[in-house]
Amino acid sequence: MKRGLIAAIGVVALLAGATACGSDDKTDSSSKKTGPDSYKGQTLTVWAMDGSTPPGWTKDLTAAFKKKTGATLKFQTQKWDGIQQKITTALSESTPPDVIEVGNTQTPAYAATGGLADLSDLKQEIGGDWVDALNKSSVFDGKQYAAPWYFANRVVIYNKKVWADAGITDTPKTRDEFFKDLDAIKKKGKAEPIYMPGQNWYFFDGLTIGQGADLVKKEGDKYVSNLSDPKVAAAMELYKKYQSYSKAPKDKDEATPQQAEVFAKGKVGAFIGMGWEAGTAIAANKKIEGDIGYFTIPGETADKPEGVFLGGSNFAVAAGSKKQDLAKEFLKLALSDQFEGQLAKENGVIPNKESLNSNLTGNGAAAAPAAAGGGTTPLIPEWAAVENAPNPIKSYMTAVLNGKSPADAAKAVEAEINKRLSQKS
Amino acid sequence: MSVQTEKVDSVPAAGVRKNDAPPGGPAASSTERAGGSAPYLLLLPALLATAVLLGYPLVKNGMLSFQNLNPRQLILHLTEWNGVDNYKEVLGSSDFWRVVERSVLFTAANVVLIMLLGMLVGLLLARLGKKMRLLLMLGLVLAWAMPMIAATTVYQWLFAQRFGVVNYVLDSLGWHSMADFNWTSSQFSTFSLVTLVIVWQSIPFVAINLYAASTTIPKELYEAASLDGAGSWKSFTSVTLPFLKPFLLATTFLEVIWVFKSFAQLFAINGGGPDRLTETLPVYAFVEGVGNQHFGMGAAISFLTIIVLLAMTGYYLRTVLKQEEDEL
Repeated sequence: MKRGLIAAIGVVALLAGATACGSDDKTDSSSKKTGPDSYKGQTLTVWAMDGSTPPGWTKDLTAAFKKKTGATLKFQTQKWDGIQQKITTALSESTPPDVIEVGNTQTPAYAATGGLADLSDLKQEIGGDWVDALNKSSVFDGKQYAAPWYFANRVVIYNKKVWADAGITDTPKTRDEFFKDLDAIKKKGKAEPIYMPGQNWYFFDGLTIGQGADLVKKEGDKYVSNLSDPKVAAAMELYKKYQSYSKAPKDKDEATPQQAEVFAKGKVGAFIGMGWEAGTAIAANKKIEGDIGYFTIPGETADKPEGVFLGGSNFAVAAGSKKQDLAKEFLKLALSDQFEGQLAKENGVIPNKESLNSNLTGNGAAAAPAAAGGGTTPLIPEWAAVENAPNPIKSYMTAVLNGKSPADAAKAVEAEINKRLSQKS
Repeated sequence: MSVQTEKVDSVPAAGVRKNDAPPGGPAASSTERAGGSAPYLLLLPALLATAVLLGYPLVKNGMLSFQNLNPRQLILHLTEWNGVDNYKEVLGSSDFWRVVERSVLFTAANVVLIMLLGMLVGLLLARLGKKMRLLLMLGLVLAWAMPMIAATTVYQWLFAQRFGVVNYVLDSLGWHSMADFNWTSSQFSTFSLVTLVIVWQSIPFVAINLYAASTTIPKELYEAASLDGAGSWKSFTSVTLPFLKPFLLATTFLEVIWVFKSFAQLFAINGGGPDRLTETLPVYAFVEGVGNQHFGMGAAISFLTIIVLLAMTGYYLRTVLKQEEDEL
């Protein structure tokens, strides 16, 4: 009857096995050079994030790629949730996806791992007029590890019908006007004025930038949490005020449930999101299409809109990919003026060159002059660890929304943030 | 798998005694009949499967726990040994000990509930008439057969904050403050919800086991007890319970393992939140190891998890091993 002992070991071994991944066998990652003629019949795998690749753009690009190289383009859509673990694992494999979309705040961390190919020559060839602010995240230790793809701006997406019902005639120009409008919808009592879950930390980061502060600060030669800064507390108080108009859960982010899908039911006055999220709403409920409007998140005064978190995405080539040249062909095509412009037009995102901004004219989703009041989290390799679940910034937000003072809530998570920022790689 | 593994230990011992053991001893006679290498050959597939599926990951995990393995090392396939640093860091952090304490309490609370309710349902099964028993059995088996994540998802829907049935019912029954209650907002309510799921999933196993065990109790014993004037409580404690004791012990032991290692329910319901307050050891190992991409650290935590589990089941293991020695 030793089965007990053995069963115990067995069972826990299974569980322990969950963390036992990865291998230490060396694989030769040097890429084999292949001439242009040999592209025919090959397949290039591209990981793109949920929402990044609108259907028209994807179709045209795939066709153009086939025509130019004879190779097939295969897009695989990934979810943001848990993406870092997925990319790490993928990059460690002997056949990684050839090209991956990496969020700008996470790019430095991957550049530091050595899993991304050096694209400095590509930058020289086609990147002469890439917008500096967008390119910053792709450069690490003086080398180009990714190519900037697009910026995404957050705007207020609102339901015109709900606003009209509440007797509102114009979109707000200042924060106070915005709150007054939300009050009006609330008073009407028919709809939730704004859908704002407790953990939309991108919006919170925008408010922080609007207050002239950052989530982390530099102390000596390392970064530490800046949550105890009174300016951050002021941003959080603003967030709390916005959140008080919503019945959304205080301990969930904008993706659980998808805020655009909640909005699509027609019982929500507005939400803050990416331009393309309107498309998500329309996909969920076709009838809402005519009611959707956009405006810039208003700031303290009419002349200066609210700060926004400039989410952005880069294309990176896996260092372990055997199709380095083909991957570069793809980048040249996807980032060409034609397709970059088409993406901007179709998805309402800000393109990587200023000369292409004309594609956004008349597009409400991208109405806001982005770069002016925008910013990102610090573009350092250490930052990505902070975004890992459970994200301490989100814990901080939920704590404040549940009644803790910003100072106390900050104190509770700062040790965790500092620990993550100081992690050795 | 484990049954076969057990034999590999006992067979050589029996083999040594083969010659002087009196014929008729169960272990000895079976070895004699089988003869030569046949038993080992028959064991081979199972042993091989065990070695590949359990042994290899375990050894691998052990090796990882002595490495500094982060995304960089994983992607570049670097092996950086760092001795016992991972263990030092884990054992030195107050977080780890809090999680251990929480895991033990969580397991204890769940096992007690499972055993109590499971036993009651098992005894009920023994008392019910044929049709009702079939119905109850059916319900139990269905609950047991439900895949873990599916069950967890159903409970998440039931207890959803805005559109959940439970909140709706509580509200309609007059408890209006529960109308928008967020079940995953606090440590206690999250644990309550998880406990409900786990207990619900486990009761069938205990109930059916104990029902099966109770059918082996001879009816005459109850008659004798009632002739001696024993009431229902008395006959339960002096007839049923002694009979069921080995079954109870074995089931409790299995339940301790099952609850202690439960990961899917906890992780799916709230990811160990709010504020990491419902992380038990398996969830902690996952969040630190895979979530934060410190794979070596995660491996060290999962190894320590095995040790904690062994300590928890130590009492049972000792009695079992003792019995074994007595038998030999």
